[in-house]
Amino acid sequence: MQAATATARRHDMDSLRALAMLAGVVFHAGLAYSPMVQPLFPTADRGNAVVVDATLWFLHLFRMPLFFVVAGFFTAWLVERRGLAGLFRNRVRRILVPFLVFWPIVHLALTRSTLHAAATVEHPSPLLQWVAQGQRDGELPGAPLATGHLWFLYYLMWMYVLVWCLRALTSEPSGSAAPAWARVLGRLAALPGWVWLLVLPCLLTPSLASVTAPHPAPESLLPRFWAFGFFGPFFAWGYLLRRHPETESRLDRNAPVLLVGSLVAYSAWFFLVSGRSVEQATASSSWPVALLGAFVSVWMTSVCLTCGRRWFGRPSAPVRWLADASYWIYVVHLPVLFAIQYRLMDLDWGWSLKYFVALALTYAICLVGYQALVRHGPIGWLLGGRSHGRRVASSVPPVPST
Amino acid sequence: MNFAFSVQGLTKRYPHFHLGDLDLRLPEGQIMGLVGVNGAGKTTLLRILTGLALPDRGQVEVLGLPMPGQQVAVKRDLGFASEDMRLYRSRTLRWHMDLIARIYPGWDEAYASELLRRFDLRADQAVGGFSHGQRVKALLLLNLSRRPRLLLLDEPTTGLDPVARAEVLEALAEVLRDEQRSVLFSSHNTHDIEQLADTITFLHQGRIVASEEKERFLDLWRRIVCQGDAAFEQVDWPEVAAARRSGSLVELKVRRFDDGIRERLAAGGLAVQSVHPMSLEDIFVTTVRTGGAA
Amino acid sequence: MNVGAIDIPMVRLLVAKDWKLFEKQLAAYVLAGMVALAFLGNAKPWSFYVGSLLLLIVLVAAACFSISTSLLVERKEQTLGFVMSLPVSPLDFYVAKLAGNLITFGVPFVVLSAGTVAVILLTPLPDGLLVFAVLVFGHVLLAYSVSLGVAMAVESEGWNTFVMIASMVLVNPFLMGIGQIPAITDHLQTDTIVLSAPALAILAAQALLSTGIVVLTGWVHCRKKSFY
Repeated sequence: MQAATATARRHDMDSLRALAMLAGVVFHAGLAYSPMVQPLFPTADRGNAVVVDATLWFLHLFRMPLFFVVAGFFTAWLVERRGLAGLFRNRVRRILVPFLVFWPIVHLALTRSTLHAAATVEHPSPLLQWVAQGQRDGELPGAPLATGHLWFLYYLMWMYVLVWCLRALTSEPSGSAAPAWARVLGRLAALPGWVWLLVLPCLLTPSLASVTAPHPAPESLLPRFWAFGFFGPFFAWGYLLRRHPETESRLDRNAPVLLVGSLVAYSAWFFLVSGRSVEQATASSSWPVALLGAFVSVWMTSVCLTCGRRWFGRPSAPVRWLADASYWIYVVHLPVLFAIQYRLMDLDWGWSLKYFVALALTYAICLVGYQALVRHGPIGWLLGGRSHGRRVASSVPPVPST
Repeated sequence: MNFAFSVQGLTKRYPHFHLGDLDLRLPEGQIMGLVGVNGAGKTTLLRILTGLALPDRGQVEVLGLPMPGQQVAVKRDLGFASEDMRLYRSRTLRWHMDLIARIYPGWDEAYASELLRRFDLRADQAVGGFSHGQRVKALLLLNLSRRPRLLLLDEPTTGLDPVARAEVLEALAEVLRDEQRSVLFSSHNTHDIEQLADTITFLHQGRIVASEEKERFLDLWRRIVCQGDAAFEQVDWPEVAAARRSGSLVELKVRRFDDGIRERLAAGGLAVQSVHPMSLEDIFVTTVRTGGAA
Repeated sequence: MNVGAIDIPMVRLLVAKDWKLFEKQLAAYVLAGMVALAFLGNAKPWSFYVGSLLLLIVLVAAACFSISTSLLVERKEQTLGFVMSLPVSPLDFYVAKLAGNLITFGVPFVVLSAGTVAVILLTPLPDGLLVFAVLVFGHVLLAYSVSLGVAMAVESEGWNTFVMIASMVLVNPFLMGIGQIPAITDHLQTDTIVLSAPALAILAAQALLSTGIVVLTGWVHCRKKSFY
């Protein structure tokens, strides 16, 4: 697809963001059957398989990076159309308020269901056993105050603040000269594609090397350097794609090579990482692991962008509906999923059936909830930015959502 | 008659300076030149009229409203530029124009663009890089483009090069074509005042020493050259502001000249050789030196 | 002071103007604050130390910065006359400066004090420290109010600098002073939060004085005889 005009809806970006969100459910549901996180994950099931690890961690390396590219893209778009003040007004309503509203609800629901599971599940995971023990001894510490799976909303707000900081710090009083940040973006855009593909992973490596492999979610309320160092460049990448649309399709013809390269790099990564639990991983993963992970992240993100342009460039009502629903699904899926998986733990089904049932039920409940309660109600307005109960005509440029 | 401003019994006291007590009015649609040496009180008077300084005593009305009580309403129709007023150095002129345009509904963008061109100013240049002349012109642009009913200018032409001065005076002259708009501008340059003002006020050591229509000033004052040996005391009349002898020649500077003076001089033994009109500067200097009313 | 006479759109415009003027410096402080928070988040003793030090520097710098740029520089660079020649009343101007300062100083102040409270309550640090910490923040707030009041009322740059530095530096004797009060120090190392009478009295005095100074400054400002 050619670069979009300034006001056309970007169906590919909408869809990619939705996929990244929906894949989050697949990821979190799968963790219950991952041998690597067995000791740490509350819903860890008796049944698990290495193939889950092999799939999940591959997805994990580029799912959120892709999401941040899309977020950066829409951020640049919003700034273009509404200015920085408009960006912040929009983002406060669409990101900060939903975060503040849903965070305590999700936190409470997860804590409640976990405590309940610890008391009732007959085949508890190691973490549930530990909770149950703590409950019995009366020494259970309160759940740590962290952002949980909503960390990305929290970090998005930081990213917007960073966008403002960098623009303000490098702006020129004179209107004639382009501000420094725009000049830097211009120079980056002018670099040949292979430089991006080789240099960007190297830039990400120190951040990945400073945390465990696979990288954790930066759930702490205090911002983490590595999270900015890892997700920040992806956000900047998306920002650059919007500012310089001519760069969008530059990497498309490399996609098959990048896909094969990513699979090879990931095989090596998985070979180095597998066989130990996350718990055993040292505080810092080794540099080769970090470098391989960084390559997979960048290359697979690029492949996804190409696929998005190729397959999701045209409007499609079902995809659009799913894209609209994805934010809601992602925000609320975890308590639903955990509640289901806690009940599945005592069943003697195979892990694959449990995985399937957990996924199907979670999606079904969230989607039905979306259609029945959210889409035309105030929550839909909050999350979707669209006017109450009314579809915005497709010719009207939408509020880019994230 | 409507007045652009009127002050009555105005006094303002600083440790080393005392203004007042002043009574002064400017009819709407007129331009008044305020002439005085440095420290005469011109700036203080202008600041009081804009609400930047409060008087100790007296009544001040600007555009029919009492000051400083109604200063917000007054300042909506007021333009004020003074020599010591600065714009934000780090910002461009465009930024200032946008700021002013948001505040004043009457902002005339087309006129602003025209003034930009005429003053040869760059809107996207940071004001910090402006020369003195450019700064004055920028301030004037910001004031004129909002189309104020009363424009107060403190020493607008001081320190300008001849070209910039001509540009500024031209722009001011244009404002005056609109009979609804009034201007009060101070200067110690009488040439500028002479060129523009309808009314002229001399301010000296905080007091008004003269305030007249310009034409009347020029009509009334004369320099008379006479010959004769009569003593000075013989011409110690109230209308003679200054007298100087050089040999047998006597030079008199006379306020309120009329033909009767020739005869009175002749009667006193002084034969009038020539009568000359006086420049405003000459009138001003003479007035200030004698320290009296014109 | 007729509060009803405040021209809200004009105040907003003035605040927006100051925001634009000082955006670059503000962005630098916010960035420094983010770096400081990230240092705190690193969860190592050295980075915790670096982070808290950096945060304090940012807070004091933001306090001095917001006063000096928005008030003293406006006077020094002779832009005050320009602003006051616009249709603003002295009260509008004061409210705008106060609001601008509430953003540039108030936001980091609230974030930092809330963060400190959270760190004390949520970490193994003894909760008794809370009273001590709150008193220190009370002092910073008071010092800030004094500096702000002096900057609004006194034109001398020397006095302003002196008051700004002196009031912040006085935190040291203040710390020593409250260190001498057994009712406050006795519970420092314990996990109980005891709001003793002396602590409450000091806190009330700080709050009252801060508010009083801000109100008094506005009153004095609106009765000033010159605004250029």
